[in-house]
Amino acid sequence: MAPPEDASQPRLATGCRWGAETKTGSEERVILFPEGAIKLQGTGRQVLERCDGLRNFAEIIGELQAQFGDADPAKIRADISQFLEQLRHKRIVDY
Amino acid sequence: MIPNPLALIAEITHRCPLHCVYCSNPLEMAAVNSELSTAHWIDVFQQAGKLGMLHAHFTGGEPLARPDLTELIAGARAAGLYTNLITSGLGLAETRLQALVDAGLDHIQLSFQDSREDSGNWIAGAKAHAHKIELSRLIRRHKIAFTVNLVIHRQNIDHLDEMIAFIEQLAPERMEIAHTQYYGWALQNRAALLPTREQLNNAVEAVAAADKRLAGRIRVDFVVPDYYARFPKACMGGWGRRLMLINPAGKVLPCHAAEVIPNLEFENVREQTLEYIWQQSPSFQRFRGEEWMPEPCRSCDQRAQDFGGCRCQALLLTGNAEATDPACSLAPAHHIIEAALAEANSTATVSQPTTASSFVQLQQRAENLWSYRTNPE
Repeated sequence: MAPPEDASQPRLATGCRWGAETKTGSEERVILFPEGAIKLQGTGRQVLERCDGLRNFAEIIGELQAQFGDADPAKIRADISQFLEQLRHKRIVDY
Repeated sequence: MIPNPLALIAEITHRCPLHCVYCSNPLEMAAVNSELSTAHWIDVFQQAGKLGMLHAHFTGGEPLARPDLTELIAGARAAGLYTNLITSGLGLAETRLQALVDAGLDHIQLSFQDSREDSGNWIAGAKAHAHKIELSRLIRRHKIAFTVNLVIHRQNIDHLDEMIAFIEQLAPERMEIAHTQYYGWALQNRAALLPTREQLNNAVEAVAAADKRLAGRIRVDFVVPDYYARFPKACMGGWGRRLMLINPAGKVLPCHAAEVIPNLEFENVREQTLEYIWQQSPSFQRFRGEEWMPEPCRSCDQRAQDFGGCRCQALLLTGNAEATDPACSLAPAHHIIEAALAEANSTATVSQPTTASSFVQLQQRAENLWSYRTNPE
């Protein structure tokens, strides 16, 4: 399985969706999938909220690199790429 | 404070058009006239949502046997739950599928008994295979998540590669290859179902190869047989830790089989709220924590992973629900498992599928091998 390409448009896989926000302003959100759920906060949440099927991978990376300006851009790219690849293996994300 | 339960297993009826020989339903099933009403179930889903549960898994029996299934799915969705339909597919065609999707059904898990029609129908005790294939094509025309479940055992495990290839061409997002678990009907039929060690080893290899080959396309989940494991399974993620199961009559259980445990009273949603049952009922508290544990569990490093294994299996095999699960290699009663395995491995014989013109005839022809699941009154 290959990592996402710059032009690919990551999105939640069929049957995976955001759960209701339990408390407004809460850091944590969940993604529901057929047999479970993952809790997301911080960077993980920011990445997946951008996986809307409209932005492409390069744009997602660009936005997060801009946001975390003091971190190594190459490392941000590598981490996000690996994160999405793992979620695709679980059929939670498509790209 | 006890954390919230995560999911509700809604066993909405015990009626089923299939007679699978490995069915995990209890031998004593809930009678048709005891089933909860539509309004009762919808109230239960509201309670589940408020308790913080995330999923409602609709199962049975065959959930489609309830004519109000669409309303129930809509009710669970309105309560904020993710809805999962676990089905044989019998009773489902285009119009009803469309209605379920419109009602907010998130995911459908369709069971197959085999890749081969004669064997599949023989295991299910019903002519179901061809319909399931047709239904799979239909499901793929809707925007809904699709899992194919296939239970494996001694009689079909030898052609697991072929079964995986069969599932692949049905194009689900996920396949679940699940070894039979020995409760209910499956325990009664264990001798015909328990694989040999060689069969198991081949299956493990086949699944690992499929997982690698299908990565990113089809997720492969594998349920291993605990009889061959070193440590027992963390059954249901631990007693009263994650799940609540409601049976067709409204009884609330920590798992599918818990009713076999004697001297344990289970509450009913007709009389108590889910919140009370989760937090305070003696049945849900009975095997929480570590106080109840015998040795070797109580001082074992694994106890926070497996919680001493399965209480129902302990009861069914040793007669004592507090015993260490005999599936554990450290259990005092592990010899019971070893004896079953010795018998399973003493011969490699598997049977040939039997065909018959009626279910009664099939029952008669197969009675030396196994008994088919029957239906509630």
